[in-house]
Amino acid sequence: MLEKSKSLAVIILFSAMLGLFSISHALLADAAVSYSERRLLARFPAVTSRDLFSGRLADELEEYLADQFPSRESFRALKAAVQLWLLRQKDKDGLYYADGHLLKLEYPLREHAVLQAADKFRALYDTYLQGMRVYYAIIPDKNYFVAAKNGYPAMDYRRLESLLAGRLQGMKYISLFECLELADYYRTDLHWRQECLLPVVDRLAREMDLPRRLSSVQYEKVALFPFYGAYYGQYGLPLPPEELVYLTNTAIEQATVKYYGQGEPAAVYDTSRFTGVDPYDVFLSGPVPLVEIENKLSFTEKELIMFRDSFGSSLAPLLLAAYRKITLVDLRYMSPALLGKMLDFDRQDVLFLYNTQILNHGEMLK
Amino acid sequence: MVFASLVFLYGFLPLLLVCYFLVPEKLKNHVLLAASLLFYFYGEPVYFLLLLFALASGYLYGLALDRFRGSGAARFVFISSLCISLGLLCYYKYAGFFLATWQAIIGAKPAPLRLVQPLGISFYTFQIVSYLIDVYYGRVAAQKSFLKFALYVSMFPQLIAGPIVRYTDVAAALDKRAASTAEIAHGIRRFIVGLGKKVLLANTLGELCQAVSPSGAGTATAYWLAALAFTLQIYFDFSGYSDMAIGLGRIFGFHFPENFLYPFISRSITEFWRRWHISLSSWFRDYVYIPLGGSRVAAGRFILNLAVVWFLTGFWHGADWNFIAWGLYFALLLLVEKFCLRGRLEKWPAFARHIYVLFFVVLGFVLFNAAGLSDGLGRIAAMFGLAGIPPADAVTLYHARSYAVVLLVAACGATPLPGMAVAVLKKCRGGRLCLFFVEPLFLLLVLLAVTAYLVDGSFNPFLYFRF
Repeated sequence: MLEKSKSLAVIILFSAMLGLFSISHALLADAAVSYSERRLLARFPAVTSRDLFSGRLADELEEYLADQFPSRESFRALKAAVQLWLLRQKDKDGLYYADGHLLKLEYPLREHAVLQAADKFRALYDTYLQGMRVYYAIIPDKNYFVAAKNGYPAMDYRRLESLLAGRLQGMKYISLFECLELADYYRTDLHWRQECLLPVVDRLAREMDLPRRLSSVQYEKVALFPFYGAYYGQYGLPLPPEELVYLTNTAIEQATVKYYGQGEPAAVYDTSRFTGVDPYDVFLSGPVPLVEIENKLSFTEKELIMFRDSFGSSLAPLLLAAYRKITLVDLRYMSPALLGKMLDFDRQDVLFLYNTQILNHGEMLK
Repeated sequence: MVFASLVFLYGFLPLLLVCYFLVPEKLKNHVLLAASLLFYFYGEPVYFLLLLFALASGYLYGLALDRFRGSGAARFVFISSLCISLGLLCYYKYAGFFLATWQAIIGAKPAPLRLVQPLGISFYTFQIVSYLIDVYYGRVAAQKSFLKFALYVSMFPQLIAGPIVRYTDVAAALDKRAASTAEIAHGIRRFIVGLGKKVLLANTLGELCQAVSPSGAGTATAYWLAALAFTLQIYFDFSGYSDMAIGLGRIFGFHFPENFLYPFISRSITEFWRRWHISLSSWFRDYVYIPLGGSRVAAGRFILNLAVVWFLTGFWHGADWNFIAWGLYFALLLLVEKFCLRGRLEKWPAFARHIYVLFFVVLGFVLFNAAGLSDGLGRIAAMFGLAGIPPADAVTLYHARSYAVVLLVAACGATPLPGMAVAVLKKCRGGRLCLFFVEPLFLLLVLLAVTAYLVDGSFNPFLYFRF
């Protein structure tokens, strides 16, 4: 009797599970975007005989079902729980939680990729920047502070510095490793916190001969909440949200920002982006190939060209007081060949500012 | 289509179950055949017609063998039927290998054939061939109904990755079958356990294997870890698929043969092969080894028989030299057991015998998983520190720590321990009561976890697909 009841229970549960999710998937409307994963979700694929016979339709259909599965976020959390809590795996798809932070494993040092990045910087220097004051700085990723002491593998940061130094003679290296600590980064994101960058600004000011006054510029803090970083959604398990703080003052508010290809001037901080797919885009509207910021209230008439990744978007406003104009170039989206037509390389300061994760994937740079 | 996919679990299977259990008895075979052909077409549309041709050929030759039984033409019909079935297999699976070997011998510039191996061709060809042999020797009568013959060969649970079902296993069920509540529940249980083995364990072990498989020099520990992970991965992958196939068969009223019986608890290589891929081993035993004379022949002939069978077993798994070497490697081990260790192995302590089997099986799977014979030998050399590489590094140890629980769960799961625990519980009333609640809940949790892995997963290879 007990066996028969158990058999019935198994059949009912199995049928209910299959039926419930099949029917609810058929009934529920498809979502367009996954905000937690910061990506567009797959839509029902177009059925063509070509895709059918190539096997692509089957792949696309599976991808569509995975993306549009009912209670998808809960299932993603369940997978993370099984991996991290039950099976005690130390990372989930390369993401791990240590010292109160979410981090992405970044190892080993991909020397060829670092050298590829260095060669691109070198080529830029040789083509456009000869005779100018050129600096480069490396932003350590969070693994630098966390990985080794928690038993996680990390790249050889000293080797990375020495590889760049070997290729970038003529440019002055500014080490930022000592100016930063783990608390200077968001807990659920890869980026640094703008409100913690004043030591970095000090170091840059000292090494780049910028006015001392730059260190004593006053800022007003504006907090946006809730901020969920890029790693939050990828991780799957719930973590408390953070505040995204940006620093502003009159000079920053009055500065005009021009994005390449867009006519209308914009503001340094675009708070409408906070509710978008990547809230960090608040800083200079996120990934843009070429941005010019003009500041009529600067201490000097100097100009800066900054070759940068997304970390530079939050640092640039804090250097603005020292420069009449800062031009930010993102080599991930812009070919160096075009630079000669778009920029006049004259007597500007030049700063290459990249985080170690980008340098370790130097092939991303054009 | 694979079982461990959302399309199958939440599309194909529920629709099929509804249709199958709603239609009257006489239409159940029709529904199952239509579903099986759709299943194959979805996964391998390009070679769908080839499957239909193989079905038609097997069916007509079966009738012809019946028709000409006892006459001189029967032998000709029989040989031509084997030529067609095995010819297709040889062409699609081995032509590229033969061509490449020939080009290497004559020193010609390699010009690969670029033939894609049709899904499941090794499995359905062996089913058709076993049927034709059985009909020819009068062990079974030819199936008069094309529907039933086609269903026997192409039944979707076992179509693309086995177990290799003999016609005699399912002949009666093709005519009449009934699935009781207990049978259906047993099938569901088996199916979910198989899904869990495949998605939760095999895929995770595959990730470990990929993470530690050194792209550069690597470390000796990494090679060992990769070898262990792959050995467990292929077991959970294939035995998981077999569990799913057997479970699905049971839901529809068919009893497929067992394919795995805890092979890693074996105490000799001979025993290992009685427990690993049983349907293939018994196929080669019944249709190749015994017709060649088996073991009741002179020593020289016996060695030849064994070498032929294991050459074919290796070659069946893949058209490359490492698979042939893998087969012959086991032939050698079996010969050593037969001639050198006979009477001695039994005197070894049990743990020593287990270690002996595991050691040689793991080494065998290094050859099996290699990109070629030289790669396999290189990996084995690296495992023993003969490649000038360090014994370990921080990254390898990190992966070992990260997957320690997975490896432990997999190692326990590959033994009869979980089954023994359930058996102990079943002996007392309290245990049975506990199982009444725990078992359905456990199955539900496994199904939920599998769904979670499929929803949020990209790593889902299936190792026995192209064999």
